[in-house]
Amino acid sequence: MTKTAIRLNDISLHFPKQRNPLAIVLDFIKKNDRKFTALKNVNIEINQGEVVGIIGRNGSGKSTLLRVISGIYPPDAGEVHAAGDISLLAGLGTGFSGHQTGRENALLYGSILGHNEDEMREKLDEIIDFSELGDFIDEPLRTYSAGMKARLGLAVASAIHPHILLIDEVLGVGDPNFKEKSKEKILSMVKGASTVVIVSHSFGLMTDICDRVILLHHGEVMHDGPPQESIKKYYEIAGE
Amino acid sequence: MEEGSVSSPVLRRIGRKTNPLLAPLSTLSEIRKNRFLVRNLVRREVRGRYRNAGLGYAWAIIEPALLALVYWFLFIMLSGNPDELYAVWVLIGVIVWSCFSKSLNAATNSLSRNVRTIHLVYFPRSIFPVSGVGANIVVTLMSCMIILPIIYIYDMPITVHMIWIPVGVLMAGFMALGLGMMMAPLNCVNGDVEHLIRFITRAGFFVSPVMWTAEMALERGAWGEAALWNPMVVPITMVRHGLEGKAVELPDGIVMASILVSITLYLIGTMVFSRYERGAVKYL
Repeated sequence: MTKTAIRLNDISLHFPKQRNPLAIVLDFIKKNDRKFTALKNVNIEINQGEVVGIIGRNGSGKSTLLRVISGIYPPDAGEVHAAGDISLLAGLGTGFSGHQTGRENALLYGSILGHNEDEMREKLDEIIDFSELGDFIDEPLRTYSAGMKARLGLAVASAIHPHILLIDEVLGVGDPNFKEKSKEKILSMVKGASTVVIVSHSFGLMTDICDRVILLHHGEVMHDGPPQESIKKYYEIAGE
Repeated sequence: MEEGSVSSPVLRRIGRKTNPLLAPLSTLSEIRKNRFLVRNLVRREVRGRYRNAGLGYAWAIIEPALLALVYWFLFIMLSGNPDELYAVWVLIGVIVWSCFSKSLNAATNSLSRNVRTIHLVYFPRSIFPVSGVGANIVVTLMSCMIILPIIYIYDMPITVHMIWIPVGVLMAGFMALGLGMMMAPLNCVNGDVEHLIRFITRAGFFVSPVMWTAEMALERGAWGEAALWNPMVVPITMVRHGLEGKAVELPDGIVMASILVSITLYLIGTMVFSRYERGAVKYL
């Protein structure tokens, strides 16, 4: 028996183009419609336990789709339903502050990702351990190298175990050594989460881990099927 | 792994529109639920402000003290001989007024300043203005430490009425929160708001009792009495009178009116914010 984890019903999302208030009023009177449609009638159903990839050219609405699922942008039309906690992994280390120590930043980032205090205190040792920062954990973040920051970010992010994990191009951060480790960690998160939606340009990985891949083109679902098939379609439209 | 399958979660609607009329209450419960996050964001803000300063947090006291010195000088130049405590009243005026103006700025810019976070994670957006104002209240309470040497120098009595000092600071921040939440969504769409806010904080400085006191206004006849209806008169006077060791002494109705204004600002602010915030972040 399969249960639905994410259901997108006829989702449309528009971005406004006009900033000038006078122009907005004029457009309203003249019934001008100046907006950019990022997603158009998107229908997707993802079952619990599935790992789904999303591919498409730049600006095709991949990241926007993840943002709609996570609640960042409420859709202009249609409904989004999801089961369980959702966590969006995009740009590790959101909200890091250079003036606070690694430990404080771990707590800060953890709370931004939706953990409460007890959970964070409980996970802190594990996070520090995974980050391999050693004594640096109590130094201000501004003394960290980019790789160290990435390590701390990933350590915190990977401490979450959501029902639904959305990943937006976070594979391959940090130095080569860490890249391997981070990829490994993210893959283990993918295995740990019950449902995963992943946006990436590395098609090799997609073929390996995804049950199916969705191809987005100009905000519309162009193809939804086995990885190989969708990737083939991608190269067809990419050649245009 | 088994974790996910233990409790089988049910489908729920994401990004549902909430009833704006409930916003004043739901904002409170959002703050309560996310109090750990609010605390961390406030700490980040306060730390960040005094990052490279050798004197660090002492600037929370030095800045208003220097400002007060300048205004005190200006006042002597303009009108001669004020009473001995005048410099103290100006100092308190400066502290409470900057709490309001900085909080208002923080709340108004809270969405546009946190674009990166808004694009990458979702949590109730009211957390942004609330933690921005919270940070300024914390800094203001640190500034209030300057009251201790003043009490010592002028040999002031320590009374229960000193409770009005933090209450006044909170009230100033609370008013700024309501007004700022009203402006924050609009500020994402359009840069004019920022200029308007800058004007409000500059003009408000003169029409509020920063360089003057409620007592001075009462000696100025009808105009002076009218000036006391400015809602910022109450929080500033509250802190001054609290330090003097008395409850707020103002003509009838003014305290009540000011409290009503704060609550109304909060009600309208949270409603406007929750109604327009979702659309506004698309402009960022």
